[in-house]
Amino acid sequence: METLLALSNELATAVEHAARAVVGVDARRRFGSTGVHWRPGLVVTADHTVEADEDIAVVAGDGRRVSAAVAGRDPATDLAILRVDAGVAPVAEITTDAPRVGHLVLAVGRGPRASWGVISALAERMLLLDLTLYPGFSGGPLVDARGRVVGITTSGAERHLQAAVPAATVERMVQELERRGRLPRAYLGVGTQQVRLTDELRARLRTDQRTAAIVVEVQPDGPAGRAGLVIGDVVVALGGTAITEPLDLRLSLRPEHVGETVTATIVRGGEPRDVPVTIGERARR
Amino acid sequence: MTPAATLDLEPIVERLRRVTVEIAGPHGGLGSGVLWPRGCVVTNAHVVRGAHAAVRLVDGTRRDARVLARDAEADLALLELAGSGVAPATLATAPVRIGSLVVAVGHPFGLRGVLTAGIVHAVGPLVPGGAPWIQADVRLAPGNSGGPLADGAGAVVGLNAMIAGGLALAVPVARVQAFVRRAGVRAT
Repeated sequence: METLLALSNELATAVEHAARAVVGVDARRRFGSTGVHWRPGLVVTADHTVEADEDIAVVAGDGRRVSAAVAGRDPATDLAILRVDAGVAPVAEITTDAPRVGHLVLAVGRGPRASWGVISALAERMLLLDLTLYPGFSGGPLVDARGRVVGITTSGAERHLQAAVPAATVERMVQELERRGRLPRAYLGVGTQQVRLTDELRARLRTDQRTAAIVVEVQPDGPAGRAGLVIGDVVVALGGTAITEPLDLRLSLRPEHVGETVTATIVRGGEPRDVPVTIGERARR
Repeated sequence: MTPAATLDLEPIVERLRRVTVEIAGPHGGLGSGVLWPRGCVVTNAHVVRGAHAAVRLVDGTRRDARVLARDAEADLALLELAGSGVAPATLATAPVRIGSLVVAVGHPFGLRGVLTAGIVHAVGPLVPGGAPWIQADVRLAPGNSGGPLADGAGAVVGLNAMIAGGLALAVPVARVQAFVRRAGVRAT
């Protein structure tokens, strides 16, 4: 029983520790969401909860409301970074240690409120969670049993209901923002649809990938158009990442890749080939 | 040290099961109740609607219990059940902490002595100015009503009363004690 009590106390202490860096984010018409004070003056939250670019308020633990501005967004990972007064809250303790399946984790929402569960799987870019993200939790921290932030929770991820963006991914994005002073939106300028790969093609490509993305639209002056991609090209991989559907393509376009030249593995007229593509930046709204 | 040994809930669960009684609901459904100090049982007001209730102890004994007091607003009812021969529940004295472990024992859907475990999600009123509730990230089902929510030491922190938005809502033990005192029974 002592072990149980000790665990119980540790979990409560973990929530307390994490909650110090937790803020409320009021940036949508419905109930507000949660954010984490990641770096002095930078709050990370879930992009889908930031509906407006203006009139955003961040609510400190003691109820103080501070105005905030969008510093950068990455809809592909569902992250947004807000600029706020650095005095809004203490800065979170973050760990980029690799999370493991089965690790006990807690989600903390503004309030503070808490839920617990385990990491149930590691997807390519997300931590999949067996825990409940209650309304308003999105954008809040997923923390380990010591209260250290291991990710940012989101119920808005397209393929998964309960997931978190790993802290390492968030960290890369924050660094990118600090380096460039903004967060560019990477794009290729193509429209694609999922397509099945024939057994013959899979053998020639030496892949067990069953599907890819076929180009159905090309922006002539876009990055893909300039690289020579045409309608009908089948994109199998981009920069070494398998593309099994249009979502993979969108998720592989990260802000830090803007300006980089990567190899697109495509199939044209039944022939596999590699095409260098320079990832562009979408014009700002 | 295996993880199973580290997280064994069994010692506290056995004690909780003994103090969790079954109460025949108004329409034949089942609710739960807690053996309270001084020969009483507390449960939810919505579990007992008449002046008497049929109580089943953990050993299978059935008893008829008189309803001593009801508070529909707090959703609490007090039953008289002297001489059950079972030691009453241990009541928590310290306030619950958000994130701390809690377990619920009850009879959801008529299944007896079902345990669910989770953590305290939040403590506070559901509407501004309302009475505080313990909101717990614990799975409950109909039949858990009136059963105990207990801490990692097995001490009762609240009485499970509702499910809202997937959360278990429990009446804090202090509020139950105040109700019992008002009913003229001194809880020790």
